[in-house]
Amino acid sequence: MALRVDYVLRETASNLKRNFSLTFASLITVVVSLSLVGAALLIRQGVQNATQQWQGGVEFIVYMNPDASQDQIDAVGNSLRENPEVADVEFFTKDDAFREFQDLYRDSPEFRDLVDSPDILPTSWRVTPSTSDPQVIEQVGQQYVSQPGVYTVAFEQDAVEALFNASNALRNGVLVAALVLLVAAGLLILNTIRTAIFARRREIEVMKLVGATNWFIRVPFMLEGMIQGLIGAGLAYGTTVILNDVIQDRAQEGQSLALLDNFFVSGSDVHSTGLLLLVVGVLVGTVGSGIAVTRFLDV
Amino acid sequence: MIRLENVTKTYKGDVHALRDASADIQKGEFVFLVGPSGSGKSTFIRLLNKEERPDRGRIWVAGKDIDTLSSWKVPYLRRNIGCIFQDYKLLANKTVYENVAFALEVIGRPKHVIRTQVPAILELVGLAKKERNRPHELSGGEQQRVSIARAFVNRPLILLADEPTGNLDPTTSVGIMRLLEKINATGTTVVMATHDRSIVDTMRKRVIELDRGTIVRDQIRGVYA
Repeated sequence: MALRVDYVLRETASNLKRNFSLTFASLITVVVSLSLVGAALLIRQGVQNATQQWQGGVEFIVYMNPDASQDQIDAVGNSLRENPEVADVEFFTKDDAFREFQDLYRDSPEFRDLVDSPDILPTSWRVTPSTSDPQVIEQVGQQYVSQPGVYTVAFEQDAVEALFNASNALRNGVLVAALVLLVAAGLLILNTIRTAIFARRREIEVMKLVGATNWFIRVPFMLEGMIQGLIGAGLAYGTTVILNDVIQDRAQEGQSLALLDNFFVSGSDVHSTGLLLLVVGVLVGTVGSGIAVTRFLDV
Repeated sequence: MIRLENVTKTYKGDVHALRDASADIQKGEFVFLVGPSGSGKSTFIRLLNKEERPDRGRIWVAGKDIDTLSSWKVPYLRRNIGCIFQDYKLLANKTVYENVAFALEVIGRPKHVIRTQVPAILELVGLAKKERNRPHELSGGEQQRVSIARAFVNRPLILLADEPTGNLDPTTSVGIMRLLEKINATGTTVVMATHDRSIVDTMRKRVIELDRGTIVRDQIRGVYA
């Protein structure tokens, strides 16, 4: 039996209106919790962008001169590989460096386009030491500063480390709060639907009596929960976009730490995060109303 | 059309609502269920609708063993059964027309069917002029006629009536019974639980008498007691 679309929409709309205060409460909870989820994901993305070079335990980078000969490059590489304090070495070609540069500055096209060819960028060795002792790492790195063909050796700064730790803690805290609120949002939606079911118990009784199918009775209520989740997620999406713009403006005005210069999130990151929020919102709404419908509808 | 075989139904605390009851009701019959309050009349009716399940025994309705009927098929069973009650169960925020149309709407009947069927059934029960009124603007007899229209608009095979005249004065009750007879004359099987001695005695239909859950009498052209 086909569900009549106009019937379902009419019933859903009247339910949403009838329980306005409860609907509003669940909506706000969905918005706040999903905004927090969005913020947490954007923090993670931002830190990843800001510290791209330092991922996977890379502690120092040996930059070669752009005009270093292949022999010089190989010599440094071999020496690094033979060094007992070094766990892993990875070579970054000019093309790799160019790609990384393009990626790093993709939201500042003016700056990015200053480097239009891989040739003027240095090649480099990315080194993961076998020890975590900063003094040993410092010593190992310094050995290569004076080698022929080496331009400079860059160490992971304490600030990067600090940023990692702080952002991880912040992100985890925000995620926990978001999860708690998300559960609250689900419970609020569940109660909204329960109230809607109670308000319409006479109609439901008649529907059962004349032989309306269980799904026919359920669908308007489930749709109601889904819509609450969807609208809430939509608003959270908007909040996330605005939040990101504000942070980016601040960063560009130079009011923040130098390290945060790279702390940006591209448009596509924001929108994929937003899509995820929509999916989570719809899921929470549907699960909440689904539980209410199976527990309180008795069909 | 309806068949009960050794049906027993017990509620909490060893209350026997129905005890080893057997009956066979043919298509097109008009049957009164009589007996004092608590004798099991309502349980009898609720079992036929699968609102309750028997503890023991088997029940066939419209050719189907309803105990083995899977739960998603129950709505389709109920489309073959119209129900009316002492308290009418009308929706207060809907007009007479909307109350009747609702029954067709929620089983997915198309709009053009609703537009032709609802006025026809309101004509049949004599309420064509009141289709825009709400239930509280109607008398008890009129409200019961709306509920009969709602129960019959889908042309069910069976009409179950649980004390339909319980809240009505004797004159109005006669009108309601005329209407049920008219519906019965179209071939619909009618099963009616009642306390009303004068109705049973004047109509002289088949009477099934229940006493504390047991069928104590099943009489063609019977009287109340």
